[in-house]
Amino acid sequence: MTKKNRENPAFAGIVVSIVTLCGATLGGYAFRAAGFLETNIVLLYILSVVITATLSQGFLYGIMTSVAATLAYNYFFTSPYHSLDVDNPGYMVTFVIMTIVSFVTSTLTSKMRENILAARRREEEAKELYRLTSQLVECGNLPGVSSAVAECVSHFLKCDAACVCFDEDGCPPETFVQQMGEGRQVQRVLVERDKYVRSLRALGDTGGIISEFYEYPIREEKLLGAVRLPKEQAAAFQESHRSFLDSAAKCTALALSRIHSLQSRIKSLHEIEQERYRGNLLRAISHDLRTPLSGIMGTAEVIVRMSDQEDPRYEMAEGIWKDARWLYSLVENILSLTRLQSGAPILNKEPQVVEEIVGGALEQMRRREPERKIEVDVPGEILVVPMDGKLIMQTLVNLLDNAAKHTPDNGQIKITVKKDQTDKFVTFKVSDTGDGITEEDLPKIFETFYTSRCRPVDARKGIGLGLSICKTIVEAHGGEITAQNRADGGGAEFIFTLPLE
Amino acid sequence: MTQYHETILVVEDDVQIRNFIVFALKSEGFSCITAGNAQTALKKLVSEQIDMVLLDLGLPDVDGMEVIRKVREWSELPILVVSARDQDKEKAAALDAGADDYLTKPFSATELLARIRVALRHLYRSALPKTQAVCQVGELVLDMEKHAAFMEEQPLHLTPMEFSLMSLFMKNPGKVLTTSYIIREIWGNGYGTDTQALRTLMAGLRRKVEKTPANPQYLFTEVGVGYRLRDV
Repeated sequence: MTKKNRENPAFAGIVVSIVTLCGATLGGYAFRAAGFLETNIVLLYILSVVITATLSQGFLYGIMTSVAATLAYNYFFTSPYHSLDVDNPGYMVTFVIMTIVSFVTSTLTSKMRENILAARRREEEAKELYRLTSQLVECGNLPGVSSAVAECVSHFLKCDAACVCFDEDGCPPETFVQQMGEGRQVQRVLVERDKYVRSLRALGDTGGIISEFYEYPIREEKLLGAVRLPKEQAAAFQESHRSFLDSAAKCTALALSRIHSLQSRIKSLHEIEQERYRGNLLRAISHDLRTPLSGIMGTAEVIVRMSDQEDPRYEMAEGIWKDARWLYSLVENILSLTRLQSGAPILNKEPQVVEEIVGGALEQMRRREPERKIEVDVPGEILVVPMDGKLIMQTLVNLLDNAAKHTPDNGQIKITVKKDQTDKFVTFKVSDTGDGITEEDLPKIFETFYTSRCRPVDARKGIGLGLSICKTIVEAHGGEITAQNRADGGGAEFIFTLPLE
Repeated sequence: MTQYHETILVVEDDVQIRNFIVFALKSEGFSCITAGNAQTALKKLVSEQIDMVLLDLGLPDVDGMEVIRKVREWSELPILVVSARDQDKEKAAALDAGADDYLTKPFSATELLARIRVALRHLYRSALPKTQAVCQVGELVLDMEKHAAFMEEQPLHLTPMEFSLMSLFMKNPGKVLTTSYIIREIWGNGYGTDTQALRTLMAGLRRKVEKTPANPQYLFTEVGVGYRLRDV
């Protein structure tokens, strides 16, 4: 009876109606033969109306049966028999009341039936959603979510649904999961992924058809994926199905958000761990390298001093000395950087006279490159700025060193210091007339370990820490550092600011 | 080249650095006595004839300051302290406690010998009965009697305070003077940490003496410690 109902409700309704009416009529004859009261026959017909209303869809058949029942009773059981006339006018009242009662009971019964069906549907929906949620809670990864969603949606909507879940960067996966009948799932390749994502984005909240499937997007602010339904079956979906899809999509969105943030957190914890490990390793190595290096440096220098310049040992010892010195400053740089980058750098901030710091930096440069002439432009007034004098001096030395590496011997290098008009900060500029900075280097020049690919032929390959250290120091002071090519062409300039506090 | 003959006590626990220092000094003619810790150092100071001490501030057993204090109780012999890069406060404290100068690791043999030379000159000059009337460092000339100063034979119009400061430097060319020492000498006791006044005074002096105050040739700043006039 249920199958018949789904396939052809109209047919079923009529059949039930006729069968019950016939049954009531036959029963009526039986009652008359047995000598029961006439009222019992009326009740039999009313019973048939109720049965019809219960077993048929909608209100129509119940109402039809009500009318038919009254007519049948009139025809078969009121004199004159087998006609629609009535001898006793009193029967009109019976007919009217019978019809009214039939109407009312049929309507009530139909309504009750509708309510029961709706409640059952809602219960099914709630059960399915609960099942989905339980499975999603257990899921720890995206394929698991796809699988659970495909299975539950297919089970409830009785079709072969599929699910696509994007990763935390919003990228679609290579495959998606589709249910294939009871207990079987397949992984299918997602073709033309970019086009798919674009089309999906363009759909509204209720989704739409994209090629093979009806897509229902899963959203929580941004697009997280989609539930895919075979488009033929999707066409037949009603309001109740949509409301289920909506709830399912929301649950899935929650689960996906959770998994995404879990994965992000794991990734960043891992990165932090790596960074810390790397820092510690560098620090340990550099520290152990320092002492023997300074021994090598010092002893090599002594040999140089002891030897005549014509002695081959002079040049050899000088070579050792220069290499050791270079290695030593490399190690010092690594140590500086790891110290500065390990959490909060400890600044020894004190008011310093700017020209003294500049002078100190210039003196250090003089020791490294005694031949270089560096111009200085510092304001006449005594400029006092709170800073870690040693670190800012190191910043200036690194910038000057960098300028010297990229400027020919007869080029110019200049330091300019100016107090800003707003009186809030002081600007330091190191400019040169050298090669300048290439387009590709400019955005990356302050990155740790970044070395430019264009390098003066003879120069030693640096490890790319000098500028990175400058940036760390300047920013720790609350200042900013930028690199650019000179507006008048022919060289680079590095500018950093320090707040006057 | 001056032939040195003094005996220097090298107090350094790190073997490689100690060896390097000894090589450098011996090659210049100095005699060396070594000690790996403060105890040994003090013992040697008492038992041997020592002209100068090279003292590492990072000794394992006793704080370097203690050694300085003990030595200064009975001797004015020059003490040079050797420190690591970030030990500014320790350097300044050591100098105030009586050390004469400092070296920062890593230092070259050149720097080491330069500092030793300055310290020795100071030692011998203080043995002289009277102070000189005219001091000269490079092109900078100070006439103590006439209270006049000249740079490249041009007169410098120094204020009395600037002159005092300049003469303080001239008495110690090549040697670092801590800020607290200078303040004490110029202003007297009780102005302990008024570095602002000294900064202003130094800046003014620089502007008169140097062609480019930001690129000095005579008056150098030792950040975190003090100032130094260039050596003769």
